[in-house]
Amino acid sequence: MATVSNQISSDLIWEIVRNNNAYVVTRKTGGGVRFSRDPLNLKNLHTRKYAGFVNEKAVGVVPNENGGVKILSKKTSASQKPAANLTSTTYHGGKSARNSYKAVANQTAKNSYRPDLREVAVQRVSAIRRSQRPVKPEPEQKLRGNKAKKAAAATEESS
Amino acid sequence: MSRPTVTIIGKDGAPSGATHPMPTVFTSPIRPDIVQQVHTGMAKNKRQPYAVSEKAGHQTSAESWGTGRAVARIPRVSGGGTHRAGQAAFGNMCRSGRMFAPTKIWRKWHIKINQGQKRFATASALAASAVTPLLLARGHQISSVPEVPLVIDSAIFEGAAAAKTAAAFKILTSVGAGADVLKAKKSKKLRAGKGKMRGRRHRQRRGPLVIYDSAVDGKELVKGFRNMPGCETCDVYALNLLQLAPGGHLGRFIVWTSAAFKALDNIYGTTTKPSELKKDFLLPSNLVSNADLTRLINSSEIQSVLRAPKGGAVTKRASVQKKNPLRNKQVMLRLNPYHATFVKEKLGEQKAPEGKPQPTAALFKEVVNQD
Repeated sequence: MATVSNQISSDLIWEIVRNNNAYVVTRKTGGGVRFSRDPLNLKNLHTRKYAGFVNEKAVGVVPNENGGVKILSKKTSASQKPAANLTSTTYHGGKSARNSYKAVANQTAKNSYRPDLREVAVQRVSAIRRSQRPVKPEPEQKLRGNKAKKAAAATEESS
Repeated sequence: MSRPTVTIIGKDGAPSGATHPMPTVFTSPIRPDIVQQVHTGMAKNKRQPYAVSEKAGHQTSAESWGTGRAVARIPRVSGGGTHRAGQAAFGNMCRSGRMFAPTKIWRKWHIKINQGQKRFATASALAASAVTPLLLARGHQISSVPEVPLVIDSAIFEGAAAAKTAAAFKILTSVGAGADVLKAKKSKKLRAGKGKMRGRRHRQRRGPLVIYDSAVDGKELVKGFRNMPGCETCDVYALNLLQLAPGGHLGRFIVWTSAAFKALDNIYGTTTKPSELKKDFLLPSNLVSNADLTRLINSSEIQSVLRAPKGGAVTKRASVQKKNPLRNKQVMLRLNPYHATFVKEKLGEQKAPEGKPQPTAALFKEVVNQD
């Protein structure tokens, strides 16, 4: 670990920040569920596994501005250099979903980076891509009953 | 382990080429419990005594009416002619009575904290300020900061170069610390509640803390930074836990001048070499030499003494769901191996032989009924 000393591990940091930190969002509903605003958190859940800012290796999936997704990942060699710590890869929206999934799965799990996050990363890519689909226009409401149909026909004739 | 070095950032945020070994104080144990406890104590040491007036609620000559008047025995205001006459007085339950346990100015306002604990907490807070995740957890905007801890060459501050806020802000922006100042600036909100009229009108986030060495950097930079939102300055010889860990939360974003950074080893010494400036002070040592759980578990020392996991790849389940043998053929076969033949020869479908059953042979009865 390229940090100050080997006294500081992710485990220790987690114990310090788990009770409260700048990212955590606690809600009373839903059994007091705790979410995280961390961009490197794949499930937005405040847990040890998904806490991206705590772990040395972490993957984040965020929507790209012009469609597609951006994958953020942490460099272990630059843990003391915040400006150089994150690498980002973009997969544009024109790429087929299946190709994006494969690329993201490989990026997450290859070279034993974070194999435990492979499935969740793909799920998040899928969710983001689904949200980027064009919104279908609402179908026009059908007229119910003869009376309404007659009224509609009458207004059409008169106009 | 050789001590890691820290790059000293020169003009325009580019590394100056010079480095400095990390002062030993950054390896001190990070103890949020101690820091929080010391912080709560220290935060109480700047309080102004307050109390209600000694006379409040007692400026009347009320006397109890005693029993027999069908009213409570609480003292009542004497006389007549006003509505006040006959009203209850003095008690904490009375309108315009004295409060319960009136506050006194001789409350114990200040807390004594042991010097060893204060020094430990300061060292701990300094160590935490070099841990990137803790800075992020405190909410500092450090995404464009080249390195943590952030050390700027003292040459930049020479000749009162940061005496003006605009110049000081330019320096912070060039080293990537501008975002944190802007965050503090944008966070300024009106306080909820009565604090607004008690000198605490606004609340805002804390930005970077600039630590300098007044002997080398001079005191002019204080003026440059003092009007910058959320930004604070501190002399390295007079570090303050309230600034190093605001709210008792570890991981303040600190901007060091190189002179201040170099002075740290002098001020704190090491775990074996006593500090030059603090009497009888050795930096606290860590209890464990490695806090990385995964590495501990996977170390050969631990793995070599662990026994092999019991059982093979497939283990017998402790409890299984009961299956109905009449529906599940495999379970039936386990219970009744003859079932295969029974089904194959369709014995279950055969009709019983017609006619009356044969009478039992006499010899059979004789054998069965033998004593």
